[in-house]
Amino acid sequence: MLSKLILGLFAALTISGSGARAAGAPAEIKIGTLYAASGNFAAISMPVHYGLKLWIDQMNAEGGVYVKPFNKKIPIKLVAYDDQSNTATAATLYNQLITQDKVDILVADSGSVLTSVAVPIARDHKMLLIDQTGTGAAFFSKDNPYIVLMSDPVSSIWPKYIADFLTTDGVKLGIKRIALLYSTNDFTGTQANAVRGFIKAANAPVEIVYDQGVPTNTTSYTVIINNIRAANPDAVIALGYPNNDISYLRNLQDSGVKFKWQFAIYPGLETEHLEKTVGAKGMEYLYTYTPSSVLEYKAEFGMSLPEYRAAWNKKYGEGKVEFGFNSVAGYTTGLVLQKALAGTESMDQLALRKAIFALSGKLKTIDGTFELNDEGAQIGEITPLGQIVPDGNGGLKFVVVYPHDVATGKPVYPAK
Amino acid sequence: MLGYALLAGLVFGLYFGLVGLGLNLVFGVMRIVNLAHGDFLMLGAFGAFWLFGIAHVNPIVTAFLALPVFIALGFPLYYLVVPRLLRAKDPEMLSIILFFGMSQVIEALATIGFGPSERSIPGRVLGSGPVSLFGQSLPSAWMVSGVASGLAVLGVYLYLYRTRLGYLTRAVMVHREEALATGIDVHKVSAIAFGVGLALAAIAGVFAPFMLGSATPAMGVDLNIQSFAVIVVGSLGNPLGTVLGGIVYGVSLMFMQTYFSSWANLLPYLLLILILLVRPSGLLGRQVRLA
Repeated sequence: MLSKLILGLFAALTISGSGARAAGAPAEIKIGTLYAASGNFAAISMPVHYGLKLWIDQMNAEGGVYVKPFNKKIPIKLVAYDDQSNTATAATLYNQLITQDKVDILVADSGSVLTSVAVPIARDHKMLLIDQTGTGAAFFSKDNPYIVLMSDPVSSIWPKYIADFLTTDGVKLGIKRIALLYSTNDFTGTQANAVRGFIKAANAPVEIVYDQGVPTNTTSYTVIINNIRAANPDAVIALGYPNNDISYLRNLQDSGVKFKWQFAIYPGLETEHLEKTVGAKGMEYLYTYTPSSVLEYKAEFGMSLPEYRAAWNKKYGEGKVEFGFNSVAGYTTGLVLQKALAGTESMDQLALRKAIFALSGKLKTIDGTFELNDEGAQIGEITPLGQIVPDGNGGLKFVVVYPHDVATGKPVYPAK
Repeated sequence: MLGYALLAGLVFGLYFGLVGLGLNLVFGVMRIVNLAHGDFLMLGAFGAFWLFGIAHVNPIVTAFLALPVFIALGFPLYYLVVPRLLRAKDPEMLSIILFFGMSQVIEALATIGFGPSERSIPGRVLGSGPVSLFGQSLPSAWMVSGVASGLAVLGVYLYLYRTRLGYLTRAVMVHREEALATGIDVHKVSAIAFGVGLALAAIAGVFAPFMLGSATPAMGVDLNIQSFAVIVVGSLGNPLGTVLGGIVYGVSLMFMQTYFSSWANLLPYLLLILILLVRPSGLLGRQVRLA
């Protein structure tokens, strides 16, 4: 009888205890974010946004995301505004998300340009900025704890394998003269600086014979290509956004110019999109970053790549927003948030940061290993150097050429 | 490098003459600023992309199709909008606001219809490989686009200077009220000019994937700025001055890309400031503009 009484009392206390905790739980977790449905950055913003939305819909279909401080699943409410690729509009809307909508989690729009305005705003309001793909190195500093980079490595380490390849294997292949063309924005400008730094540090017998920046809205490269050709380089590194890469590669093809070694960013990151606009012929033998959407990392959390691809096609089958690197990035943001909410001690912004940092080096998703440095910059998802080659059936395939431990083939040099 | 930049600039400039031509024709005849000009150009680009995608229609054919289609589109649009604007106290300013709104609507609809990403047509459609000219190699797609631009400009010249409708159009350009007093059907003449202006934008748009690499629903804004620079340099209200403005813009852009590439996007603004300081009426403008 006494034991029944004690058990009953214990059960009542447990229920009331959990009831008290649940009563303090919010009806929803508000995630606030921006996306660019139009404008120059729409092509890189919408896949990321759709990836995040897919994760949110999946969570809500399962009853919500588990939030440790409340010990229950809570539905997610997405508060999202269209910044139209405009930084001034984005700044206003980031403020609105924080001060008017009072979101629990602030997620930046895709890319460095639209993230750049969020960094000081989040810091001023002591909100942790969930930076999806804004990789500009200047965003991260030891005195700013209010930012973490989710899905892409910080720009300053992206081109490490390019430079390492050119200063080691490239030298053996006969590469001595390098041309560097970049768009003048945080994303590619940082990478250009990094390339110079890596090449200088390598002390290899290579020199940069052409080094020019162009505005990000550049759409005509014919004269620039002619100027690069006049510098007679053995290798050309072109660092731009999708609109830059499309124009550059089309102009290259139309001009009949073929460089012996040509690198561009987006043939790897948004392969389907570039194949549609540049054409398969214009992408043959290009060097590029090998994306997570090709590498198929062994995901220990979340969907595998084929499963995610199938879920994407089911949800967004119309093909207006292509599947690629950025679509994986948005989904990865969701997975990191899911893990962090399951591990955080409270919904305080710095507690959330601590929970995200606790995942560093331990979380493996379809985007590779999630790893942060002290400043919150992503250093784990570094992309190997790949080359796009004909697959013999009229299509294209990726060959990872560097570093050697993950290489799947030898580079074709000079390009055919 | 200098010779190549000059030649490429001439071809690119000829194209930009076509880009600005429709905007200047509309301003010259109606004294209204069509801020949706770049968006009609975008519609031409997406029209070419769509027709090529569904039926492999050659863009040159699309350019010919664009002429009647956009003239037909311009006619009702003129009667819906322009007479009301012209009755306002400040039609120029009001037109900026109205067409800005129209621009936003067109861009939004195009984004819904085609998605936000870049779209393009293979360059080989207008000829494969480069073309040699004066010892320099230029993409054949550029050469075809340049020639098409030249023909369109020639067509506008013939329309304005060799047809009765052109005489009437120029009469309206010189003085709208006097033209009205002499019995000219000013609205009919203006509606045709408005349609021709839209059609010229659409034809320029058809060649945009080849000259500008790709087309996006958002491309109109940048093109408007470039078009304004071109027509102000040439002369506001003088359609043929636009060709000169385009060539100045094209050659300057190629030189900027060669020697100061990081600063190339400042060019339209630099040209605007320079021409307004040195010759406010434009290179082919009269000293006093009748506005």
